[in-house]
Amino acid sequence: MPLSTSNFKRRLRLPRLFFRKPSQLERVHGGPPLEYERPIPEVPWRGITVVVVLIVIAATCAWEVYCRSIGYGPTLNDNEDLWTMARRRVKPESVVIIGDSRAWYDLDLDELEKGLGKRPVQLAMGGSCAYPVLAELANDEDFHGTIICGIVPRLFVAPPGTPPMQNAEKAVRRCHMQTPAQRASQFLAMPLEEHVAFLKQQELNLEELLKRLPIPNRPYAQVPPRLPPYFRTLDRERRARMIEECARPGKLQSTVQQIWLTLFTPPPPPTYIPREEFVKKIGQAIEQRFHDVAAAVQKLRARGGKVVFVRFPHSGELKKLEDRETPRAGIWDRVIKDTGAPGIYYEDYPELSGFNCPEWSHLSAGDSVEFSKRLVPHLRKALQM
Amino acid sequence: MLFNSLTFVVFFAVVVTAYWSVRSWNARKNLLVVASYIFYGAWNPPFAALLFSTTAMDFWLGRQIAKAEGRRSRRAWLVGSVCMNLSMLGFFKYGNFLLQNFQWLLARIGIIYQPPHLDILLPVGISFYTFHSLSYTLDIYRGVLKPTKSLRDFILAVSFFPQLVAGPIVRAGDFLPQLVRPPGLRAGQFLWGLLLMTLGLFEKIVLADTMLSGSADRIFGYAGPLVALDSWLGVMAFAGQIFFDFAGYSTCAIGAALCLGFHLKDNFRFPYAAIGFSDFWRRWHISLSTFLRDYLYIPLGGNQVRPVRAATNLVIVMFLGGLWHGAAWTFVVWGLLHGSYLVIERVVRALFENKEWTNNLATRLFAGFATYAAVCIAWVFFRASDFTIAARMLHGMFGGHAHGDAILSTREMLQIALVTAGMILVHWTLRDSNIETAVMRLPRWIVTTAWALMAYAIIFTQGSSNAFIYFQF
Repeated sequence: MPLSTSNFKRRLRLPRLFFRKPSQLERVHGGPPLEYERPIPEVPWRGITVVVVLIVIAATCAWEVYCRSIGYGPTLNDNEDLWTMARRRVKPESVVIIGDSRAWYDLDLDELEKGLGKRPVQLAMGGSCAYPVLAELANDEDFHGTIICGIVPRLFVAPPGTPPMQNAEKAVRRCHMQTPAQRASQFLAMPLEEHVAFLKQQELNLEELLKRLPIPNRPYAQVPPRLPPYFRTLDRERRARMIEECARPGKLQSTVQQIWLTLFTPPPPPTYIPREEFVKKIGQAIEQRFHDVAAAVQKLRARGGKVVFVRFPHSGELKKLEDRETPRAGIWDRVIKDTGAPGIYYEDYPELSGFNCPEWSHLSAGDSVEFSKRLVPHLRKALQM
Repeated sequence: MLFNSLTFVVFFAVVVTAYWSVRSWNARKNLLVVASYIFYGAWNPPFAALLFSTTAMDFWLGRQIAKAEGRRSRRAWLVGSVCMNLSMLGFFKYGNFLLQNFQWLLARIGIIYQPPHLDILLPVGISFYTFHSLSYTLDIYRGVLKPTKSLRDFILAVSFFPQLVAGPIVRAGDFLPQLVRPPGLRAGQFLWGLLLMTLGLFEKIVLADTMLSGSADRIFGYAGPLVALDSWLGVMAFAGQIFFDFAGYSTCAIGAALCLGFHLKDNFRFPYAAIGFSDFWRRWHISLSTFLRDYLYIPLGGNQVRPVRAATNLVIVMFLGGLWHGAAWTFVVWGLLHGSYLVIERVVRALFENKEWTNNLATRLFAGFATYAAVCIAWVFFRASDFTIAARMLHGMFGGHAHGDAILSTREMLQIALVTAGMILVHWTLRDSNIETAVMRLPRWIVTTAWALMAYAIIFTQGSSNAFIYFQF
């Protein structure tokens, strides 16, 4: 430790510039160079750095080993940049899958390619509304291909400003505004994510781990519901597959099931708006969505594009909840009627309705292949191929 | 390119390696110019051309000011430089704002005018590099700087990538002299630079983005009335978020510059330990407050004029400082609030100047607490996107919504409380010192552990490449 302040300052090499005003001469470029130095603490930097690097490597490796030991595997994160990469693959006549996580998990690109003659581009997103992507494709004057649009009624009519709309809007916005730096970061991140298990932006980061702390809340605290834990893999084409552990009965499967029930239960109306007014506003937003969707489909069809709506399998308590809260006659029938587009409701066809969703909302990786194979003839018929 | 992105990690590693591998000083400077333009162009390549054109114009105008003989013609060239810089800033940043206000004014006198919406994309960091460049012509005019003969050196001074997009606002007069002689590679300086970069990223990724931003967004985005506790916690979360976000960027910039052998001044000195508002502005965004002081407040007469005029000067400076932050009346109100705080402080100081009790610990602590609270109240206008939200927040903070909603979880409340308490404790502990002194005084095992923990927390948190708040300014 320093013996005196002056000695301490000397050891720190504190710059004179910080303690006195520089002379006129010193401020003139071309004059004598300034003695302009930030103080550098005199500590054994090399030794400290070596120890820091070793600690960080050891801790990172330990975290990786632990994450793998509790079932996490390396896979890509689904984010706006990966979505943008997929969106860039859309050609004027492409087959494009849009919608929510059911269209994402339940469709196998290989089977669809075999059956439809073109490899589809996967643009469906977990927990998102299909409309912003449908509108974006409808506004893309070059695009006149085919859209397979998954419908989960609650997500399909999600009002503006809600997370399902924001998720989709964020991706669409990124696609139009992506900077070269963001593009480069995605290319650098992918090989890392494909090899490192703990790189799960929406699951294993500090914020998400803090959310899991069992701390009781105030009675009326409005805490957003928990999202399901890791239960899928994702490749560079954005093909999502349920992991085996979730397809088997067990803790992960039941956890995900319970989370779906919470997420699909309508939240209470906000306290700051009278209930009638809120219900009226939501009704208006849903009507507007029907109108907007019909307009977007009309726009696409006018230039030769095709749209087919698909309702994917769901099971168990979640099915009961969905049937109760969003019956077929309410949203599905209205979308089909207003747009005039063909629709495939899985329950109408015995070969599509016999599937069981392990966690009630999505098909297992194996079943998704079989389901896609069986769906192809219906798609071909609906699209008059 | 964001500091908290993988692209930057690779970019920086390549630049640093190449920079220290090259012997020629000219080649190194050329490398930095190219690297800086790549860094900037990685957002939007065409805007690099805009950056170059303003830089080249100011380089030329600086020479004209130096060559001009009469005071009038010197002033005319300076006015040219100021107009060029401010008109560009005005067009890109304030174009739509001015049109909207023009429309509003016409509507007040019964004229309905629908202006075209200008689809203007704001060049990132334009407010910063405009000031970097403007400082050059202003200092030449003031006679404290001779124009550089090298356009390349001036380009580097304006566009040096660590400070290009979000400060600190490095004046040409502080940077150009560092381009005279090549710095040597010193291990201590380089590694201290890396530690500062780690600290800056920790502040941004862990403290601002992970611990505070979610709660601040939730509170300011909530459409209903909130109880006082949640309102205050939301504002405190934002107060911490904006500090860690901006100070984190500045610390990264200082660290990155040190790794390349350059020295940038501090931009923050523990501002939440300020006692009074003049003290706050000596500690918060120092490069902007000194810029406004030297190039606006002092030319207006500073405090060498009658008290009423000095107070008016303060308010004018803070009004413009507010507007610099964004094209919205909420920023203007934020600036005016700070202007009023400064004026009130002057009056209070004049009244109690020689009282002994003003120097005791309790008074100082109370004054520090009052300063923090008043700064938080001003942050409401800075963060709120319109006056309705600001009014709702203030109403909630002062108990106007006794039966309002309580939306924060206990975890969020604990995070805000712990981070804010830690931040204020550190600020008060180091308020008359600096981080270098603290590192010297701490046992080495603590420095090592702290560095390792911060680095690990950054990896652990992963981040999602959120942009720094000050990029939008």
